[in-house]
Amino acid sequence: MSISPETTNYMIAGFVTFFVVFSVYITSLFVRWNNLNRDKLALEELEKDKKS
Amino acid sequence: MKKKPKILLVLDIFSLVLLAVAAYLSLNFAPMEVTMGNVQKVFYFHVANAWVGMLGFIAAGVAGITYLRSGNSKWDNVEVAAVEISLVFFLIAILLGSIWARPAWNTWWTWEPRLTTAAITEMIYLAYFMLRNGIEDPNRRARFSAVYTLVGSVSVPITFMAIRLFRTIHPVVIGSESAQAQGGFNMSPDMKIAFFFALFAFTIIFIDVFWNRIRLGILQNEVEELKLKVME
Repeated sequence: MSISPETTNYMIAGFVTFFVVFSVYITSLFVRWNNLNRDKLALEELEKDKKS
Repeated sequence: MKKKPKILLVLDIFSLVLLAVAAYLSLNFAPMEVTMGNVQKVFYFHVANAWVGMLGFIAAGVAGITYLRSGNSKWDNVEVAAVEISLVFFLIAILLGSIWARPAWNTWWTWEPRLTTAAITEMIYLAYFMLRNGIEDPNRRARFSAVYTLVGSVSVPITFMAIRLFRTIHPVVIGSESAQAQGGFNMSPDMKIAFFFALFAFTIIFIDVFWNRIRLGILQNEVEELKLKVME
């Protein structure tokens, strides 16, 4: 009977890497979305002021 | 910018559930592979990420062609979204492959055909953003980017076929097994369930993130237009 090598640490490293990279990307989408929304609101205010 | 569609919200939640189930199937449901041990479980996410990465690069090429034919800037937005997301998924695939390779091949990295072509593909699409940043005129930028993605998409089938065309140590799990492959294995029925579910889950996750990223691009364009209006 063969004994499997102990590679659990590598498995954990793999899944942690996936979740970290993926979370960072999703967070970056959220941050960019919020920043753009804030910019849009500010620019709309400026445009209103310009018109009036 | 229109309010987030309900169907996208449902897709967000569905994607999260699918990701959790895919992780469960990979970690708990699929049996441990005897010769490699637990690290083999990384394979389910590795292949799924590589699949959606390549899918996105091809989608970017298609968006590029469509832009060149129509001249409609919305296709430029779709192209950027596809490249950006695919870069992330493909980077994850490369990192997971490297982590798997350490115990399987006794090295983090080796310049064999699959790894080399994958690294080149990733760099080609990294350079895509450098190209975009270097061109100020939006129409010219979109046209150059479209041609670039079209040419760049050639690297995708080359990367995919690399393990089937060249002598390589990278295993071919689906299809014929190379005699030089190290770390190959036959999938049991439970492994196949985890594998195909991960492919399905990541395809849905890709569609969800892609849609969200396209919406971000639309908002970005709206802000740019507003900036120009205010500055006039």
